[in-house]
Amino acid sequence: MNRALRAALVAGAAAAAGCLAWAAWPPTSQFAPILASMLVIGLSFMMAGIAAWQRWPSSRLGLLFTIVGYLYLMPYALVNLANPAAFTIGNLSEGIYGAALAQLGLTWPSGRLRSRFECGVVIAEYVSAAGFSLAGMMVWNPTFSGCPAGCPNLLLIHSSRPAWNGLNRASGLVGLVLTGVVLTLIIRHWRSARGWSRRAMVPLVWISCAVGAEQILTGGALNLPLSSLVSASLAPLVLLTGPTLFVVSTVRARTARGAVGAAVVDLEPGAPPARLRDALARALGDSTLQLAFRLPDGAGYLDTSGQVVDPARPAPGRAVTPVTEASGAVLVHDAGLGQEPQLVRLTAAAASMALEHARLQAEVQAQLEQVRASRARLVEAGDAERRRLERDLHDGAQQRLVTLSLALGMARDRAAKADPELGSLIESARKEAREALTELRELARGIHPAVLTETGLTGAIQALVERSPVATTITAVPDRRYPAAIESTAYFVVSEALVNVAKHARADGAQVMIRKFPGRLLVEVSDDGTGGARSEGGSGLRGLADRVASVGGVLRVDSPPGGGTRLEADIPCP
Amino acid sequence: MVRAGPDASGLSRCQTGFVQPSAAILIVYDHDGFRTFARGMLEAAGFTVAEAATGAEATEAARTVRPGLVLLDIQLPDFDGFEVARRLAAQAGGPVVVLTSTREASDYGARISSSPAAGFLPKDQLSGAALRRFLVRDPAGEGRT
Repeated sequence: MNRALRAALVAGAAAAAGCLAWAAWPPTSQFAPILASMLVIGLSFMMAGIAAWQRWPSSRLGLLFTIVGYLYLMPYALVNLANPAAFTIGNLSEGIYGAALAQLGLTWPSGRLRSRFECGVVIAEYVSAAGFSLAGMMVWNPTFSGCPAGCPNLLLIHSSRPAWNGLNRASGLVGLVLTGVVLTLIIRHWRSARGWSRRAMVPLVWISCAVGAEQILTGGALNLPLSSLVSASLAPLVLLTGPTLFVVSTVRARTARGAVGAAVVDLEPGAPPARLRDALARALGDSTLQLAFRLPDGAGYLDTSGQVVDPARPAPGRAVTPVTEASGAVLVHDAGLGQEPQLVRLTAAAASMALEHARLQAEVQAQLEQVRASRARLVEAGDAERRRLERDLHDGAQQRLVTLSLALGMARDRAAKADPELGSLIESARKEAREALTELRELARGIHPAVLTETGLTGAIQALVERSPVATTITAVPDRRYPAAIESTAYFVVSEALVNVAKHARADGAQVMIRKFPGRLLVEVSDDGTGGARSEGGSGLRGLADRVASVGGVLRVDSPPGGGTRLEADIPCP
Repeated sequence: MVRAGPDASGLSRCQTGFVQPSAAILIVYDHDGFRTFARGMLEAAGFTVAEAATGAEATEAARTVRPGLVLLDIQLPDFDGFEVARRLAAQAGGPVVVLTSTREASDYGARISSSPAAGFLPKDQLSGAALRRFLVRDPAGEGRT
């Protein structure tokens, strides 16, 4: 709607309001309350219409609201202008707003009529309103209605009170029938609507029923006992529900917008797409909402419940909104939601954000998984390399040193008899060779303990404990073999812990306990020393924590000053 | 006291001139150089010596040679010394088996004590005297050679 038109409409509304206010003045006059209520009703429709026009520029709803407002207010304003032509036109057009109201109800919420029959019903509404009005004007003398003399009806041909009463009654009956038809149609619309449209129609149905009831009671067709009372007090209130309908639906749309955002924010990270769909459907109040994804091979779309969806040919009453090109996702929703393009855009944006978030999360998760796997592979490769080195030392240098020392022993035995001096020289050479052998053996054990490869944790931990300078007891070690990476990690935990106990703890005793629980191996080394060990900083504990983490485990250090140290490695283990 | 006839194995390379009686020994080492060296050493000590380089050869030689003592390296290319010891123990009138390795006994934890072998001799402590101590301690091979 352009600015000039809006300005004109607002000016017209203001003018009509001004006329009525002038006519009603002073506020103490007997007409003042009625005119004031008319003013409120008419202005509500006009303002709601102008606002609706802005909100749904493509829909006729705004126009209809505005027309209803004008058709309701203008006749009273014209009648009060004290001009014969205006008085006549005003009286002639008095009842036509009802037809516009029926059209509004039948076209809600799209602004369009659904069938030829409905089109006929609306035309019948207008024709009957205009026809009865015109016919009535031909026989109506303004004095019938208590108008002061001097209010000329320019259309009056033959003043006849019985004819006028008859016409009124006939108009009331026809109006009642038409209202019944319109109400029936509206209720049918509501019953056949689904999802968003059905929700959007709920207030309309209630309000239409109220208007219909009001008309039945006050239309004069039935002459019910309370008619005049209801007519005076209830009619304005019922009419006011029209703009209320608009306000309710606007507030609903706003609330839905907020709810869409909140639904996505509340969605926990990594939630599956089906959860996203549920959240959006709840927020929109459209239980029929579908979130569909393009299949990887491009051969169509599947929604989150596994149904095949064809975005190119949505089912009747359904509409398709793409989420993002990149995600290949579409929203299939009730066509009624098309009335709320902003809401649909917002929903698509929210879905896009959530999907992108999920995609990034999956990516990060996958990368993390890769890093974890490669770290584990690195550690395993390192272990294998150490095992190979140990074996090479054993098969090569150690073997030769053994032979050398044995040969020197034999040489010494033979030489000793003939030349004792040569004998002792060879003996010192033999001792050197044995020293070298011992050192090499220690070195090889440090590189990788053969006992671990040979016997697993049982023998390896036993050997560690035997070599430990601090009195150490083994409380438990499972007598079973585990994957090499797990065995060596557990071994290095105990080995490093016992080295630390000997070096720093000033402990009298230590305890080693390895226990198997379902899915994990718990390695625990505790001492009764000075405590105060920390896993941060450049200590061996940091490296040990990394080593434990490489197999997906956790290292915990509990070392209060003066309270001993408890080192616990929790290692995942099949 | 162990008595072993010089011709007991039919592989007699017994050196004369030693007062001590000799027993047939089967040495099982993967490493050719060391095996040759050990053979020389043990023959010098008065033993009749047969050789094997793998676990399969060892079980086969034990059946044909019927040695009084098998000196068995734990690390072998086909199956390890513990397995060979088990197979030898299963043979009727099995020989005294002494496991040996460049590594220390502690590197094998309880595997040595739980094997049917009579004991363990670190490789660098190999000598005729050490082997005789095993034969004295476990006279299973006595009178059978």
